[in-house]
Amino acid sequence: MRWLKDNALSLAFLVMFVLALAGQAVAGTLEFNDRQVAGGGEPVSVPHFVASSDFAVDVAENWQSEYLQFFLFIMLTVWLVQRGSPESKQPGEEGGESDERQRVGPHATAASPAWARHARGPRLWLFSNSLGLAMGAVFLLSWLAQSVAGQAAHNAERLQDLRDPVTWGSYVTSAEFWNRSLQNWQSELLAVLSMVVLSIYLRQRGSPESKPVGAPHSATSTEG
Amino acid sequence: MRLPIVSLTFALPAVAVVLCASGCAADPAGPARTAERFHAELSAHREESACALLARVTAEQLPDPGQSCADALRELRLDAGGPIRAVSVWGEDAQVRMAGDTLFLHRYADGWRVRAAGCAPVPGRPYDCDVEG
Repeated sequence: MRWLKDNALSLAFLVMFVLALAGQAVAGTLEFNDRQVAGGGEPVSVPHFVASSDFAVDVAENWQSEYLQFFLFIMLTVWLVQRGSPESKQPGEEGGESDERQRVGPHATAASPAWARHARGPRLWLFSNSLGLAMGAVFLLSWLAQSVAGQAAHNAERLQDLRDPVTWGSYVTSAEFWNRSLQNWQSELLAVLSMVVLSIYLRQRGSPESKPVGAPHSATSTEG
Repeated sequence: MRLPIVSLTFALPAVAVVLCASGCAADPAGPARTAERFHAELSAHREESACALLARVTAEQLPDPGQSCADALRELRLDAGGPIRAVSVWGEDAQVRMAGDTLFLHRYADGWRVRAAGCAPVPGRPYDCDVEG
């Protein structure tokens, strides 16, 4: 019970993620079958649709944009600040910060992770940048998956239209690929912009994403 | 910086599944066999059998009123298929390029069927096909 309470936020998002993905699979199958039957084809089962490039490209294109959003947010907030936003560091603190402030090496505490206490050189660099690297890596993998699945779905559609399939190189330079990518990116970038700016002036009582209700608009990096 | 972070434990295997699912190239032997059989039946003047290899929607749309599918195929006198040059399979659809013809096929529950045959390329547009559903 204690474990559930301590991990409630992750578990809540995990459950919502699984339910949303299952819902997408069912709704996607129904939509796919509607098109199939209209074109003289046969309806497919949910597992068949989930294994298709149509489902894969829809999943991957959303994943890549979400991970790009977090990657950019993590990396840009190292170097850029927004005065008054709880999502930002204080102006003047831009950059990777000192070892003392980051509690690295001799400044580490007994509770610090082992790699922060003992690691040097590439291992310390790796651990120091592991969050950004992980987000960036998942973004690139998801974008690659989108390109592969997208090519497959696009080519199946082209064959249905009695047209030649295209190569992966042609697909990743096509309007279809960039339209799919950019329409997701613009919405993610707008969402982050909204979060950074609105959190200067608006409050959500009790949320660590917000400043305390009574905190001044000018206060930066104060979480409620 | 307190935005929630989705666990990579779930993300990484899922990306692999996405790559696998989308990268699974289907077996090109099925559509190749159907295309060869279709042209073999036409060469042997067994148009009824060739019609049985057409997608239902194609077989229904091919004949003029009062004409059978076999009659329509006989009248069209498609060029011989010849040896297969290339096969592309994407999802449930395939293109088979033969020396004398290009065919488009779709996979149904009972196997691959010809959706279009006697197809000639038209730059920047869909193929122009004598047999098309």
